[in-house]
Amino acid sequence: MWRRWALCGVVWIATAAGLQPVHAQTDLVARAKQEGRVAVYGSMESPIFEVIQALYRDKYGISVEYFRLATNRLLDRVLTEVRAGKPQFDVVLTNLSPMLIMKREGAFGKYTSPSYEAFPASSLDREGILSPPYRAVVISILYNTRLVRAAEAPKALGDLLNEKWKGKVVMPDPTQHITSAVWLSNLQSVMGSEYRSFVERLAAQAVLVDSFDPAMQKVVAGEYPLGLSYVKYVYVMGKQGAPLDYVRLNPVLAEVHNVAIAARPLHPNAARLFIDLLTSRLGLLALAQAGEFVLVPGIYPPIKDAGALHIRLMRDLDEQQLGRWRGEFGAVFRKR
Amino acid sequence: MKAGLLALPRAGPAARWRSAFPLPAVGLAVVLAFLSLYPTAMLFYGSLTTVPLGHAGKLSFANYVTAYTDPGTFTVLLDSFVFAFGASALSVLLALALAWVTVRTNAPLRSVFELTAIIPNILPPLLIAISWTLLLSPSVGLLNVMLRGIFHVAQGPLNIYSLPGLVFVEGLILTPLAFLIMSGALRNMDPALEESARTAGAGHWQVIRQVTLPLMRPAILAAATLNFVRALESFDTPAIIALPARIELFTTKIFREALAAYPPNYNLAATYGVSLLVVALIFVALYRRFTSRVEAFATITGRGYAPHAIDLGPWRFAGAAVAGAILILIVVLPVGMLFFISILPFYQVPTLETLQHATLVHYTRIFHNDRVYRALLHSLFLAISGASAAMLLASLIAYVTVKTKIAGRGVLEGLTFLPWAFPGTAFAIGLLWAYVNFPLPIYATIWILLIGYVTRFLPYGLRSVTSTIIQIHREMEEAAWTSGAGFLATFRRVLIPLMRPGLVAGWIVLATIFMREFSLSLFLYTPSSEPVGPLLYYLWLDGQAGSVGALGLLISVISAVLIVVARRYGRLDR
Repeated sequence: MWRRWALCGVVWIATAAGLQPVHAQTDLVARAKQEGRVAVYGSMESPIFEVIQALYRDKYGISVEYFRLATNRLLDRVLTEVRAGKPQFDVVLTNLSPMLIMKREGAFGKYTSPSYEAFPASSLDREGILSPPYRAVVISILYNTRLVRAAEAPKALGDLLNEKWKGKVVMPDPTQHITSAVWLSNLQSVMGSEYRSFVERLAAQAVLVDSFDPAMQKVVAGEYPLGLSYVKYVYVMGKQGAPLDYVRLNPVLAEVHNVAIAARPLHPNAARLFIDLLTSRLGLLALAQAGEFVLVPGIYPPIKDAGALHIRLMRDLDEQQLGRWRGEFGAVFRKR
Repeated sequence: MKAGLLALPRAGPAARWRSAFPLPAVGLAVVLAFLSLYPTAMLFYGSLTTVPLGHAGKLSFANYVTAYTDPGTFTVLLDSFVFAFGASALSVLLALALAWVTVRTNAPLRSVFELTAIIPNILPPLLIAISWTLLLSPSVGLLNVMLRGIFHVAQGPLNIYSLPGLVFVEGLILTPLAFLIMSGALRNMDPALEESARTAGAGHWQVIRQVTLPLMRPAILAAATLNFVRALESFDTPAIIALPARIELFTTKIFREALAAYPPNYNLAATYGVSLLVVALIFVALYRRFTSRVEAFATITGRGYAPHAIDLGPWRFAGAAVAGAILILIVVLPVGMLFFISILPFYQVPTLETLQHATLVHYTRIFHNDRVYRALLHSLFLAISGASAAMLLASLIAYVTVKTKIAGRGVLEGLTFLPWAFPGTAFAIGLLWAYVNFPLPIYATIWILLIGYVTRFLPYGLRSVTSTIIQIHREMEEAAWTSGAGFLATFRRVLIPLMRPGLVAGWIVLATIFMREFSLSLFLYTPSSEPVGPLLYYLWLDGQAGSVGALGLLISVISAVLIVVARRYGRLDR
C-alpha cells in the first residue's frame, strides 16, 4: 500500500515539477500583460532591435519602449539614474565592459532566465545577474566598393598604415567610445611588439567620429574609402544597396553583449519576459537573420564568409583600466 | 519716452495699489532668483566637489587644478575664442550686407531676401551643420565636386572639417539674428544726416562709409557681441564638425567630460562650464551696454518717417545678386540638401544616379515610429506651454522694470539675463545638480526641461515685450484704476491686450527655439520626456540619416504652422 502511495507521490511531484515552468510562464505572461510595457535601454541599433520589439509585441501584445544610445552615453544615463535613485529602465543590454561597471554600481538585479539553460554552464554569471553572452559585435575594416576594389583593399590592420590611406580611414574616437577603446587595447595581444607603433601611426592616419555608426555612414557616403566598424553593417546597409564590404581579418576581434534586469524595475515581469524572449533560440535566430553574430553554434548572419571567420572574443576592461587607456589614447588620438 | 517719468508717484487708486506692489515684485524676484541662482550655485558646487551627481561631498579645488594644469585647456580656450570671433564677424558682415540691400536700397526681390531671417529659425541648427558636411566634405561634398570640375584639382579645395569650416557654418547659422538686429536699426535710422551728406555732395559709398556705418556702430557691436556669446556657447555645429577636424571647443569639452567619458565626470564638466560662464558674463554685460545705446539712439530719432531708399541704378542687380547669394547659402543649400537626405535610401551625396533610387521610406518610417511620435508631442508641449509661461513671466518682469520705480528692479533684469550667459551644456549640469534631490518630482521628468527652457531663454521674451511696453501710455492703466480695477485686472484686461504684438513676437521666437532645442535637452531628458532635439542627434548617430532629414523637415513645418497660428492670433484687428 505504502508503495502505491509513494508512487503516487513521485508521480505528483514529477508532474508538478514538470508543470511548474508552464504555470510560472503563464503567470509571468499574465502579470507582464498587466504591466503593459517594458522600458529597455540598449546600444543595439534601432533597426535591428525592431525585430525583437515586433516579436515581443506580436507574441505577448506588450509594447517595448526602446531607448537606443551609444555605449558610453548609455553608461552615463544608467549610472546617473541609479545614483539619483530614479532609474527609469527595466532592462539594459550592451557590451560586457560597461555591463560590468553598471553591475558593480548596483544597477542590476538577479534574474536567471529559463532560456539560459541552453547556454554552456561556463558562460553563466556566477552571481546570476548578467545573462550569458548572447551576441558578439565583430569589428573589422569596412570599405566602399565603389572607391576600393577588393584586390586593393587592406588585407590586415597593418596595411591601414600605408601612406596611400592617410586621412582616408575613419574610426570612432577611442577617448569617447568605449567599444573602440576596448578593441584598441585588445589589439595588444594580437600585434605584440608592433602594437604601440601601430596605435600611434593609426592615430596619425585616421579621421575620428563619435562611434561605429557614423564611421560606417561616412564610408557608405564615400567621404572616406575605409573605416573601422562593425561587420554586420555590410549586411544591414547592403540590403539598402550601400556599396560596402569588409576585410576578412585573421583573427577578427569581437566583443560580447549581455542583458540584465534593473535592480528596481518598474515593470519586473514584462522585463523578465523580454529577457526570456531575447535570449531564447527564437530571439537569437531573429537577431542572426537581422545581421547579428549570435552565440549559437552553427548559426551565422547572412554575411558572406561569416561562418569562416576566426573570431576572437575580446577581454573586458574594468573602470580603472578604461580610465588608464582613455588617457593613453587621448595622448595620441587627440593630437592635431 | 522715459520709463522713469511714467513712474512718478501719483495720488489716487493708482498710487494705492502701486504702494502695495512691492510684494508681488518681491515674489517675482524670489521666483527668478530661484530659477537662475539655484542652478548657478549648484554648478559651482558641482565644480568644487569630486563626488558623482546627487551625492554630498567635501569641497575641493581638485577639478580646477585638473582643468588648468591640463595644457590642452589653453588650446581649447584659444580655439573657442577664434571660433566665436570668426563666426560672429562673418555673421555681422553677411547680415549687414543683407540688411542694407533689403532695407535701404531699391534692389529687386527684397521681400524674398527677408526669408533669410525667417526660415533658419525653424530649421534645427544641427541639421544645417549636417547638410554642410555633405556640401563641403573635402572628398565628396557637392560644392567641392563642382569646384574640382571647374578648377581641375584632385582634392577639396574647401574643407568643412577645419576651424574655418566650423566658423563658416556657425557664421551662417548666426546671420539671421544679426540681420534682425541690424535691419531694425536701419529702419529706425534718421535719414536727415545721410540726406545732409548727400546735399553736401557726398556719393553713395562715401555716405555709407562716413555716415551710415558710424550710425550703425551700436547695432553692429550689439549683434557682434551677442553672436560672439552664442557661438562661444554653441554645441550644435561643433557636435557634427569639430571631432573629425580634431578641434576641441569648450562646449565639446564639457560634453566629452560629462557624457562621453568613461566613467562620466560631471564635476570636471561643471568646472569647464564655470570658466565659460565667467567669459560669457563679461560679453553679455557688453551686449547689454551696446543694446542700451541702440535703444537710446532709436528713441532720440523716433519720429514718423520712412528711411530714404537709395537708388542703386544698374547696381541694384548686383545688390540683389549679393543678397541672393546669401539667401542661397543660408536657406536654399541646407534646406535642399536636407530634402535630398530625406529621400535617399542611405546617407550619400545626391547625384543624378543616386536620385534614381529616391524613396519616401524615411517619411513612412518616422510616421510609424512611436518614439518619434512621443518626442514630437513632448516638443510641442514644451514649445506651447514653455513659450506661454516664459512670456507671462517676461511681461511681469517688463512691467516691473519699465513701469515702476521699485528699488532694485534692475536686479530682476540681471537675474533674467544670468542663465542666458550659460552655455546650454553647462546650465544643464547646474540644473541636474539642482533638481536631482529636489523634494518635488522634477528631475527625470518633462518639468525639468520646461524649467530649463523658460529660465535660459527668458531674455528673448523679455526683450520683445519690453520694446512694446515702453510704448504703452500711462493713461490706459490709469483709466482702469480709476474704474476700480486692481493690478491683476488691469494687467490682464488692459496691458496684456496692448502688449499683444510684443508678446506674440516673443512667443514665436521662443516656441521655435523650444521646438528644436538641443544642447540643454541632451543632458536633461529621459526616455519618458525625450524631445526632438536629442532624438535627431541619436537618429544621426544611429545611422538613420534619412529619418533625420525627414524629421527635420517635419519639425520645420510644425514650427511654421505655430508661427502662422500665433501671427493670426496676434493681429491687432481681432
